Amino acid sequence: MSFDVFQREEAVILQGRTLLAANAIVDPVAAAKYEELLKAYEKLARTTRRLIKLSDRNEEQLNELAHTLNQKNDTLATLSDTLSKYLAPQIYRSIFLGQQDSSLITRRKKLTVLFSDIKDFTETTEDLEPEDLAYHINNYLTEMSRIALAHGATVDKFIGDAIMMFFGDPESRGVKEDAAACITMAIEMQQRARELRTRMAAEGFERPFHMRIGINTGYCNVGNFGSSDRMDYTIIGSAVNLAARLQTHCSPDGVLVSYETYALVRDIVDFEERESVDLKGIRRKIKTFAVRSLNEPPMDPSRQFHCDQEGLKLSLDLDKIVGNARADALRSLENIAHRLRDLIQTESSADRSQADADETSAL
Amino acid sequence: MDPINIAQTARTPRVEFDFQGKKFIIAGESYPEDVSSFYGPLLEKFTTFLSGSADAQISFRFELIYFNSSTAKILMELFEALEEAAGNGNHVVITWAHETGDDNIKELGEEFAEELSNASFIIEEIAI
Repeated sequence: MSFDVFQREEAVILQGRTLLAANAIVDPVAAAKYEELLKAYEKLARTTRRLIKLSDRNEEQLNELAHTLNQKNDTLATLSDTLSKYLAPQIYRSIFLGQQDSSLITRRKKLTVLFSDIKDFTETTEDLEPEDLAYHINNYLTEMSRIALAHGATVDKFIGDAIMMFFGDPESRGVKEDAAACITMAIEMQQRARELRTRMAAEGFERPFHMRIGINTGYCNVGNFGSSDRMDYTIIGSAVNLAARLQTHCSPDGVLVSYETYALVRDIVDFEERESVDLKGIRRKIKTFAVRSLNEPPMDPSRQFHCDQEGLKLSLDLDKIVGNARADALRSLENIAHRLRDLIQTESSADRSQADADETSAL
Repeated sequence: MDPINIAQTARTPRVEFDFQGKKFIIAGESYPEDVSSFYGPLLEKFTTFLSGSADAQISFRFELIYFNSSTAKILMELFEALEEAAGNGNHVVITWAHETGDDNIKELGEEFAEELSNASFIIEEIAI
């Protein structure tokens, strides 16, 4: 006979039944009560048996559901990982944190926008085999994306060899800090591009890439554009158009910025003013500034000082002034400070004398 | 009696019955498809061993992560058998080990132990 989980209970019931059948309980009232108790015990045993069976079945179903849920979670995780490759990491993160609304909503924000492309890309690559072209362009875009990510840029899109990025959305460190991060990134991009050119030449590529970068800071509309079925998280506005125009005006291997960006970052990067450009729809000419000394790392505010205002252009690099040159530099600066102080005092005295004279004549 | 050693599977626990040393362990997860065919022979051998024991030092260790309701019935049977053996003069120690933070298993063990008055009962917290 196979094992029964309730065999002890069944043994008790059998014992009771046997007792009753043998009329072992003489008192009829007691016997009736005993039978009633036995019936209740039998019912309890049956109910318990059913409850355990039901509980086991429910647990089995729950376990199956949990298993299915785990499988679906794994599938979802894989899909999410694949999807993340098609979105800027910041956009992907804000969607999965529930911070993004999938409706056609935009907002106005001050962003720093960067456009880059490869000068004469079509002519440069027309002789390449498609596989070689794919290898070089993917390598280039991967390197630039890595730099962008490291500096916190939102990579909007790749359009062939062109890259569009911006700082200030969905996360912003502040307008000035965003511009600083952008210009620092742009300089690193050009430095890396130079290294890639050397490598490409070594690999036998006759016409290595020369990148142009344009940067502008201004108010843009940022959010979801397109249709409700198919939308793109991007930015539009004249500030964006200007960044793109600056890029086309930029010299190869250079970084060209607007006045708005220049004003925000001129204390950390050395610039030289270039020719102004026309932008369709804007009457005024747009001032442009090119990053100077791209071969050198960005300025360290504690070691390099830059001042550019009306009548004063000062560039001081403590790392480059060594030995006796330091004393000479100090003398020059003290001489300038002394002359400026004299000028201020003279003008202040002249203003006071004039004020006294005006007061006297009034009396 | 020969010892019983059953390796853990996805649905059944590790079982180590050392009748010579009087040490018994059931550990892991328990939701066998057929609880009767898994636990029936074990319970029968164990109750046979207990019925032949007198003044013995018996220790039974439970180290369970999960068990279904049918297994719970079997555990109650084991507790009852151990309590009866303790009442018959054997020194019985039941150890109920639960994973740190698993209050559910801990409380289930405490509920099983409510019927004990002769056997000793120890709750142990472990990292599984």
